[in-house]
Amino acid sequence: MSMDTIRNSFDGDSSVLSWETWNRIKHTERFVVLSSVLFVLLFSYAFGRAPVVSDVFQGYHGLAMTILIWSIFALGFNLLLGQTGLLSFGHAMFFGTASYAAALFAIHVYNEPLVVVLVGMLAAVALGVVSALLLLRLHTVYFSIVALAIAQFLYFLAREPLVEITKGINGLDIPRVPLLGIVDLNHEYSGLVGTLLVNNLYIFIGIFFVAVVALITRIRKSPYGLIFKSIRENETRTAFMGLDVWRYKFAAFLLSAAIVGLAGGLMAVNTQFAGVERLYWSVSGDIVVMTVLGGLGTLAGPVIGTFVFFYFKGIVNGFPTLGNYWLLLLSLSFTAVVWAYPDGIWGMLTDFTAALRDPKELLTKTRQRIADLVPNGGDR
Amino acid sequence: MSIDGIVGFLFIALSVASLYLLVAVGLSIVFGSLKYVNMAHGVLYLAGAYIGLLIASSNQYGGLLGEAGQVGLGWGFIPALVLTPVVIFVLGIVMERFIAKPFYERDLLDQLLVTFGILIAAQELVAIVFGRTGTIYPRPEWLTGAISLPVIGTPPGMSAASTIRVLVVVLTLLLILAIFAFFKYSDYGLAVRAGTEDSEMAQMLGIRVGRPFLLIFAVGAAYAGLAGVLGGSLFNVTSGIGMEIIIPSLVIVIMGGVGSLRGTVIGALLAGLFFATATELVPSMTRASIYLLAIVVLTLRPNGIYPSTEIGQ
Repeated sequence: MSMDTIRNSFDGDSSVLSWETWNRIKHTERFVVLSSVLFVLLFSYAFGRAPVVSDVFQGYHGLAMTILIWSIFALGFNLLLGQTGLLSFGHAMFFGTASYAAALFAIHVYNEPLVVVLVGMLAAVALGVVSALLLLRLHTVYFSIVALAIAQFLYFLAREPLVEITKGINGLDIPRVPLLGIVDLNHEYSGLVGTLLVNNLYIFIGIFFVAVVALITRIRKSPYGLIFKSIRENETRTAFMGLDVWRYKFAAFLLSAAIVGLAGGLMAVNTQFAGVERLYWSVSGDIVVMTVLGGLGTLAGPVIGTFVFFYFKGIVNGFPTLGNYWLLLLSLSFTAVVWAYPDGIWGMLTDFTAALRDPKELLTKTRQRIADLVPNGGDR
Repeated sequence: MSIDGIVGFLFIALSVASLYLLVAVGLSIVFGSLKYVNMAHGVLYLAGAYIGLLIASSNQYGGLLGEAGQVGLGWGFIPALVLTPVVIFVLGIVMERFIAKPFYERDLLDQLLVTFGILIAAQELVAIVFGRTGTIYPRPEWLTGAISLPVIGTPPGMSAASTIRVLVVVLTLLLILAIFAFFKYSDYGLAVRAGTEDSEMAQMLGIRVGRPFLLIFAVGAAYAGLAGVLGGSLFNVTSGIGMEIIIPSLVIVIMGGVGSLRGTVIGALLAGLFFATATELVPSMTRASIYLLAIVVLTLRPNGIYPSTEIGQ
């Protein structure tokens, strides 16, 4: 899409008009939601089955669903870190707790995917309320580490003392039942729908994905979301403006917990399983890596980061020789991104396309840079 | 509980506290004086454990070393205990210059993220080179069983305290006293304290704070390296131990109150006591206990036990 507009810009004066239109359109809520729908429609196909493209990615449908769920997780996490500036190193607590709550509810009370997912979400919110009372009194690193401590506490709690309920490291199995009693989630379509979306489970997850994107866009565009941002930029000033900072942090924390809980519930439905490893610190670490790698505070960033992470974990992992090094490569690129380019992959892309709009300046800048490099190498 | 039981219990508590303390002390000083949060401190513990292993014994490893057969010097436990901190001291200097220094002026969260990335990368590197299965330290004869002194044999009441635990506790006690003395009596310690109070002012008065900070960073590193050898011989050694030790250590530093060495010591002792009590009463809660303790303490005192900003107190 952006490639077309770039080509247009070379045509002449009319291009200025088209750039402005594009700039206006791309920031509207409707455009964002529509592109998320388009993304869900095409993602699995492009990743796993489309000619040429899928040969490059070597993906498969199951991984596409996992990526969508983790994208929801990353979006929820980003709402707290990217928007509000609170780095939680323990977001696995919401993911794992929601997963367990969903599984336990399905096994002991009532098994219906939609209800189960909502129960997971509510459990995460309940945990959010309790942990916020402790966490929101702390700042920056203290907040991060104590969040990690709470998550680790829950991990070890679920692993041994609560083994009767959680089945410890064996985990819980959830039988799959039809959605609302009629829609079979495993049902595979034929024809165009089958090619694009494959089965009902993908549609089920996809709808939640679009809903989360819509909700987060709404928050970002609203005055309410702007208050989150102002807390990130300067908490003291926000308080001086007469706003109750604690209340807004609490709201952001709960919203984040709810979205992450949704992802946890979906994960339980998707894998038909809930296990203790979803509470482990590595889950919290993974989500930090994904979000920061993709680009903090943006909508596309966390999704791209999740994709890159799972591309490495699911696909590169299988490569001969190189597969052994996937996590090393990933963690090194994460470190490099934080070190040198805090805007992440999405930031690089937008900067690059912005530079492309003015090709002449890009050319002179590149020349300048090359000119800078050469004599320095000779003189010193 | 018999006297033997009590002594055994105390030494479990103290040895666990000692290990945490050796790692947390470096973290606490660097966090308190340089305002630098260093998750990569776990790398030093990890490196200490593996370098000690290479010095002490010669083992068959998995991973890239799988083909190489027996790898290691096999000099025994004492050389490992002495040489490893020296190696890690040098590693600490390198880490301060190339990783920590560029980040002193940056946001705390950036520091946390970068050092987290480095820790994960280092753990993965170790896993690739040494394999993912655990290794055990060879324990020399004199380290197993109860302590036995040359003349009097096993002191009364000490039969339940294993030698390795006694060694860990005594070493830690000496090293912690050394660091307190360093802060209180040496010129370098004074410079670190001045630099902590107001780095710019200290520099204007002609005190070079860079060197003392580097030294204290490297000393903290050497302590963590030593903890790696000791921890490796108490528990087993895997590529994941860096993260496993750094989480409780960070929690202890925050629980004790950042910048307060005394708080860190108290925090570590409490954690060890809690650990040993849980082992005795509710074994399933053993590993969750320290986090429960931290949650309780920080609920009651959000700024930690000693909410002090002065280092060396």
